[in-house]
Amino acid sequence: MGSGTQNSDSAGGDGATSGFLPIELRAVSKSFAGIKVVSNVSFDIRPGEVHALMGENGAGKSTMIKIMAGLHQADEGDILVNGKVVKFASPKDAHAAGIATVHQELLLFPELTVAENIFLGQTPKTAMGLIDWQAMRVRARDLLNSLDSHDLDIDQKVASLSVGNRQRIEIARALAQDARVLIMDEPTAALAEADVQRLMAIVRNLCARGVAIVYVSHRMPEIFALANRVTVLRDGQHVATKPVSEVDEAKLVSMMVGRSIDRLYPPKQGENGNVALELRKVSFGKVVRDISFSLRYGEILGLAGLVGSGRTETALTIFGITPPTSGDILVDGKPQVISSPEAARDLGIAYVPEDRGQQGLIKAQSIEDNIALANLRRLMRGIFVDAARVTEEARKAITRFGIRARGPEQLVRQLSGGNQQKVVLGKWLATNPRILIMDEPTRGIDVGAKAEIHQLMRKLAGEGMAILMISSELPEVLGMSDRVLVMGGGRVVAEFDKAHATAEAVGAEMTRSDARDAA
Amino acid sequence: MTVEASPAPLGRSAFQRFIGGYGQEIVVFLSIVFLFIVVGAINPRFLSDTNINSIFAGNAYIAVAAIGMSMIIIAGHIDVSVGALIGVIATIAGTLAVSGYPVWVAWTVPVLFSIVVNGLVGALVAYTRIPSIVVTLGMLSILKGGLISATAGAWISDMPPEFMIAQMRPFGIPSAVYFMVILTIIASLFIRYTDFGRSIYAVGGNMEAARAAGINPERTVVGVFALHGFFAGIAGILFATQLQVIQSTVPPNLELTVITASVIGGVSILGGTGTVIGSTLAAILFACIGSALIFLNVSAYWLRAVLGLMILATVLADMARRRRAK
Amino acid sequence: MTLSRLLRHETILAVLTVIALIVLASLSDKFFTTENLLNQGRLMSEVGLVALAMTFVIVTGGIDLSVGSILGLTAILLGVFWKNLGLPLPAAIALAMLCGTFAGWVNGYIITRFNVPALIATLATLALYRGLAEGISQARSVRGYPEWFFFFGQGEVLGVPFQLWLLGIATVIAAVVLGLTPFGRATYAIGANETAARFSGIRVNATKLWIYSAAGFLSALAAVVFVSRVTTTRSDMGTGLELDVITGVVLGGTSIFGGRGTIIGTVLGLILIQALKNGLALSGVKGDGTIVVIGLVLIGAILVGALFDKNRGG
Repeated sequence: MGSGTQNSDSAGGDGATSGFLPIELRAVSKSFAGIKVVSNVSFDIRPGEVHALMGENGAGKSTMIKIMAGLHQADEGDILVNGKVVKFASPKDAHAAGIATVHQELLLFPELTVAENIFLGQTPKTAMGLIDWQAMRVRARDLLNSLDSHDLDIDQKVASLSVGNRQRIEIARALAQDARVLIMDEPTAALAEADVQRLMAIVRNLCARGVAIVYVSHRMPEIFALANRVTVLRDGQHVATKPVSEVDEAKLVSMMVGRSIDRLYPPKQGENGNVALELRKVSFGKVVRDISFSLRYGEILGLAGLVGSGRTETALTIFGITPPTSGDILVDGKPQVISSPEAARDLGIAYVPEDRGQQGLIKAQSIEDNIALANLRRLMRGIFVDAARVTEEARKAITRFGIRARGPEQLVRQLSGGNQQKVVLGKWLATNPRILIMDEPTRGIDVGAKAEIHQLMRKLAGEGMAILMISSELPEVLGMSDRVLVMGGGRVVAEFDKAHATAEAVGAEMTRSDARDAA
Repeated sequence: MTVEASPAPLGRSAFQRFIGGYGQEIVVFLSIVFLFIVVGAINPRFLSDTNINSIFAGNAYIAVAAIGMSMIIIAGHIDVSVGALIGVIATIAGTLAVSGYPVWVAWTVPVLFSIVVNGLVGALVAYTRIPSIVVTLGMLSILKGGLISATAGAWISDMPPEFMIAQMRPFGIPSAVYFMVILTIIASLFIRYTDFGRSIYAVGGNMEAARAAGINPERTVVGVFALHGFFAGIAGILFATQLQVIQSTVPPNLELTVITASVIGGVSILGGTGTVIGSTLAAILFACIGSALIFLNVSAYWLRAVLGLMILATVLADMARRRRAK
Repeated sequence: MTLSRLLRHETILAVLTVIALIVLASLSDKFFTTENLLNQGRLMSEVGLVALAMTFVIVTGGIDLSVGSILGLTAILLGVFWKNLGLPLPAAIALAMLCGTFAGWVNGYIITRFNVPALIATLATLALYRGLAEGISQARSVRGYPEWFFFFGQGEVLGVPFQLWLLGIATVIAAVVLGLTPFGRATYAIGANETAARFSGIRVNATKLWIYSAAGFLSALAAVVFVSRVTTTRSDMGTGLELDVITGVVLGGTSIFGGRGTIIGTVLGLILIQALKNGLALSGVKGDGTIVVIGLVLIGAILVGALFDKNRGG
């Protein structure tokens, strides 16, 4: 395990030690469109340590990472490298200061070889100034060997590699740049268990060489196995920086959430009705495996699990985007073939997708155009779209959901995240669905709008709608769901009723490493 | 961590890497060999010196233009104006030659013109984000119209013999063939062994990753278009000097033949992969097919349909390969 | 998208067209005569018919480079079916048009089924269809059509060329479909955000197949008019048509990135181009020289559009 850390104190940065620190942040703040996403955050990273950065979605972690990587520039506060104040105008500047990032979306060149991907931009040269392929291959081999990745073929094209292997290439790339700080953004989010173990070994190996790691992850076991210190952010504020030895899981969760959960979420109204939707051994390839569950009218069923556990994939299968390769989907007790979103809609199923900007909305179009899109057949007069009824439908949605907009003709891209989400909801509720699937219903939405959407979900369920909710925010899952299913490795690995769904129990099932490849 | 200095293999053997990196090129090369053997067996005149000469020398300009086109497509762009550009270059070169300018002026000025024009196209594409297909469609129209309105399609003849560079035969081989071979080799080395060459692949493969690796994608695109201009310029000079007369019009469908050569030579239409050796081989393959149709008594009018099918087959194979790789 | 926003480009274009007409009329007194204008309309019809379908294609974010080749192929098939196979001419026309429509459907199938970018798919079929036309015809032209057939390309109804009626009717249908029907909404949605359209229950692939088939159909219709107008069939008919068509559509304000465009804009774009061609020719600019202007206008129009987009912070 990595080199010994110096004495830890609660917050970073006293002048005496900062001269040796590969990176130190002092009172950093950053706003987007007038909203402060990071406010007065200070911490430091020490050589050879694994520094975990934790917080709920929207707590400001990714903004902090982007500031350190030179992708964003802080509005206030200083970044210090080796005790000197630096300004990163671009990722290039951050590289030069020894800070490298392993991006979640892995920035690689699929059609080039492993060796070239590692060195592109700083290739070894011969005396004549030409690229020295042999030297490049030798150094790539050495680098990968030093990461215990003897099995990676340096002459293979990256296109055919798994996510875990691609990640190793990005790490090798950072080492080739002599990085002193390596930022890893949810590195295990998309990894299979064997790859997680390998990655942890690599992280320890890097620390032993004196490389500092900024490690962003939701997975408690990894944090406790790897990290020396942990910094917790909440709502853009710095909560604390502590040695991992001084905290336990419960304490970390309470630092991240910072409030009692139950009070914020509206209570259940009414009783459950008949079974609305039932899945029997539904599979889609290898991402959705033998899923069986039923959902009743009036019920909110929470689907918990880590990114990549198969939750969204299950929703897409129900909604006809990726129709099942085996198994049965029953609506109102009758088996149905759902081969397209159109078919799903006609069965009364609505899906509010995870990626609002890409999947949910046409941002360049108006509110009314967006709302009409899923309801064209209903809003016709003869063979024409009835423009008056489209506008009227949009007006209704604006009133019903309290969408703050100038009017039905305002472009969706001009709205805030919360109001955009309400437009998506308006579009789908206008189809009069009986089964509503909501994928990350409040991601990237401010606290006020969040509460409104939660109230709305409760109200809809109270009116008898069956709701399947996917969420990565544990408090939301626990607060909203009448019942919780936990997914891992494309399967349902656990089920909790309201009474037994505690943060500890659900969290443990989510992060339990063997859940992912369970047979 | 110690690194074993074992003699364990570094990666793949040179042979494996050759097969892996030049799969499509090998297929095209074998197709050429196959055509020569089969058609030669059916009609031995196919293998006569005159015919082989016309296959290679007569189409060298297409291969040279395809070198630049390959780079453009590797970078994720396209140029549909190259045929018109070659027509314009040939006309400028011929006009300069018959107007009494020194031969070297008649050779170099059109090439410089071509570099500048394509550099400007590249700048438009890179900095305004207008798709290259639209910009080059516009260029096609401008060049074609400009050429016809300036010359009315007149024939240029009586060019000085020393101007006719494509017809010179050092050591008995037409110089056009030297140009094709030497430029292919130089370009291959260039895109393999220089940073700029690799940045073409990087920009075509993943623009954001290229930017993150410290490459300036805009500059790379402008550079690629200028390079393409250079090769189109040389192609234009070869085209101008291979016959005794130049018709100052746009050679029909030349851009299509050039693009097809690049695509069939293994340059993926989605960018990021391919080589210039492949496009040169593919240009030779077309010439062989065209010639073979004649020697097999099949109407040459079917040639274009064959080309169309070949592009389609290559593209579908490329899409299937990418889907598998995912 | 609000109506005013949509119409802004069209308004500018309409003003430009009017100015161009005035200037050209003042340059040559032959320009603004009924005879000349109707004749220009006749010349515009073939490009115009194809441009209507191309507007849909480009609004979905696609492109169809093969329309000229489909025109050529349909023309050749018409001739071959009639002369070589001995079919009655009306049957030959119908069958040839069916083939042209099928050629368009094949484009759509390749694009939707195999995810081939439209640019490359139609570049390949551009070569394929033209090659088929050349191979089938062996570069022999077909002449000697019966007199009644020339009505499509040369005849008049109420003093207006027949194909102008055809173009007018097709324009109204296209404008109504794109502007007022669910199909039109789907077309815009696909171009603006294909994923979101699919997630909203829009049948993306079916819509695209219809659109590319329509491009084939209208190219085939243009082929019939073309053959009738010039009384002969040649395999090089329609070469370069795609350039004229795309230029007209893009000049008419349809975004090459998809999601935006109107039929009114396309018609205005076509009129402007035809007026420029004709006006410049009448003012003594040599025939093909006018396409320089078209190239410049095309690049200029998109450049201005791109700058507008940037200012809007799209």
